[in-house]
Amino acid sequence: MTLRLGRREFADDATLMMAIVNRTPDSFYDKGATWAEGKAFDRIARVVEQGAEIVDIGGIKAAPGAEIDVAEEKRRVVDFVAKVRASYPDLVISVDTWRAEVARAVCEAGADVINDAWGGADPGLVDVAAEFGAAIVCTHTGGVTPRTRPHRREYDDVVAAVLSDTVAYAERAVAAGVDRRSVVIDPAHDFGKNTFHSLELTRRLDEMVATGWPVLVSLSNKDFVGETLDLPVGERLTGTLATTAICALAGARIYRVHEVVETRQVVDMVSSIAGRRLPARAIRGLA
Amino acid sequence: MRIAVVPSAPVLLPQYASLTDPVAEMRAAALDAVRWVASEGPVTVLADDLGHRVARHLLGEVGGRATDEPGERVLVVADGSARRGEKAPGHLDERAFGYDAAIGDALRQGDAKALAVLDPELGAQLLVGGVPAFRALGELVVHHGDLRQTAGDLRVRADVDYDADPYGVQYWVVRWQCDS
Repeated sequence: MTLRLGRREFADDATLMMAIVNRTPDSFYDKGATWAEGKAFDRIARVVEQGAEIVDIGGIKAAPGAEIDVAEEKRRVVDFVAKVRASYPDLVISVDTWRAEVARAVCEAGADVINDAWGGADPGLVDVAAEFGAAIVCTHTGGVTPRTRPHRREYDDVVAAVLSDTVAYAERAVAAGVDRRSVVIDPAHDFGKNTFHSLELTRRLDEMVATGWPVLVSLSNKDFVGETLDLPVGERLTGTLATTAICALAGARIYRVHEVVETRQVVDMVSSIAGRRLPARAIRGLA
Repeated sequence: MRIAVVPSAPVLLPQYASLTDPVAEMRAAALDAVRWVASEGPVTVLADDLGHRVARHLLGEVGGRATDEPGERVLVVADGSARRGEKAPGHLDERAFGYDAAIGDALRQGDAKALAVLDPELGAQLLVGGVPAFRALGELVVHHGDLRQTAGDLRVRADVDYDADPYGVQYWVVRWQCDS
C-alpha cells in the first residue's frame, strides 16, 4: 500500500530514513548537541543532504528526567518546525510527542507525522492527526506511563502483545479518521521491554510486517544493543547496523536513526539481497 | 531487405537490470534498430543461445516477434572481442583491435563477403562471441545477391548507430538496408 506522510507519498517498496533531531539538552546519544536552534538547523541540513526523507524532531528525551510541561515542549519544537518547513517545503517533518496539544501546534506549523513513542498515552492524538491529515506512528509500550523505564515487565508472548496493541492502535487511528495510508506501526524496542524482549521482537519482526501495516523501527544506539554487546553509548553503531539488517530483511519500511548514511547503505544492501531493490549499477560478468 | 545488428550483452536482459543502466546509450540505439527491423513483420534471428534470449527480450520491448522462417527482415545479435583492455573480461590481447577493426569496417561498408570469411579460430581466442552470427549474416547477404542474379553485389546502405567498447567488449549497433 502506498504510504502517505502528510504532503508526500511513497511507493510500497520504498524504504525511508527518518533522521533524529533532538531539541533537548539531555538526550542519551547526542547529549544536547542540537539543543541550540542553530545546531539543530545545521543537523537538518546535513541529514537532508545525506538523503534522509524524514526528520523526527523531539523536544523531550525518552528517559526519566526533569518535567517538561506542554508550554516548554512547544517552545522547543513549534517554531522550529515552522522554520524547517519554510526552508524545506518537501521534507517530511515528524514530531516526536505524545501530547495532543503539542501535536496540534506542530501540525499547524507544518508537521506531517506525529510520532507517538508512548503508545497512545494521550487518546486525543489520533483526532489531531485526522484533523490535519497527518500520519501517525503507533507504538507499543505495554501501557506504561511516558518517560518511565521498564521494571520487571514480562509478557507471555512479547510479539503477540506488540501485534495486538499496535494493530488496535492503528485501527483506532483509522476509526478516528486518519487516512489508512498514513498509519505506521512501531514495536518500540526498549520501551516497556527488556533486552530479551527487544531481541525477540527483532528476530520475529516479520510477524509485524505480515500485518500489512508499514513498520517503523527505532533501533539506533539503544540499550538493548549496548547490553547485548556490553558497549556504552557511542560504541553501538555496528550492533545497531546488524539489527537494522535483520529488520530490513524482514521488510521494515522506516528507520529512525542517528546515522543516516550508514543505515541507508545497510538497508539498500539488504533490500537488494532480498530481491526488493535493484543493484545500483551492475556490469561485472554481464558486459 | 532490412538487417539490424545489436550486441549480445547479458546486461540487456531484464533479470540483470540496475537502478542506473550501465549501457543506457547502447540499449537505446539497439532498441531503435530492433524497432526499425521489426516494424513491418516477423524477424529472422541470427544468434547463439544467449543472443536469442537478448533478441527475444528486445523484440518484446518494441512489440516485434521472431520467426524461424527465412525472410527479408534479419536481426543479428553479435559483438566483438572481450579482450580489449586490462579490465576487459578476457584481459588485454592486442590482436583484438585488428580483428574488431576488420568487423567494424565490414559493417560500416556493407561488406558481406568480409564477414562471411571471418577467422573462427582467432575469433574464439579473442573471445569474439559473434563470429558464427557474423559469418551467417555474410553468407546470407551474399546468397541473397546470388539468388537475385544481380550483375554485381547487393547494394547495402549501412548506418552505424553505436560503436564503442565501454567495458572492454566491442559493441556495434548497425542497420543495413539491402537493395538489389
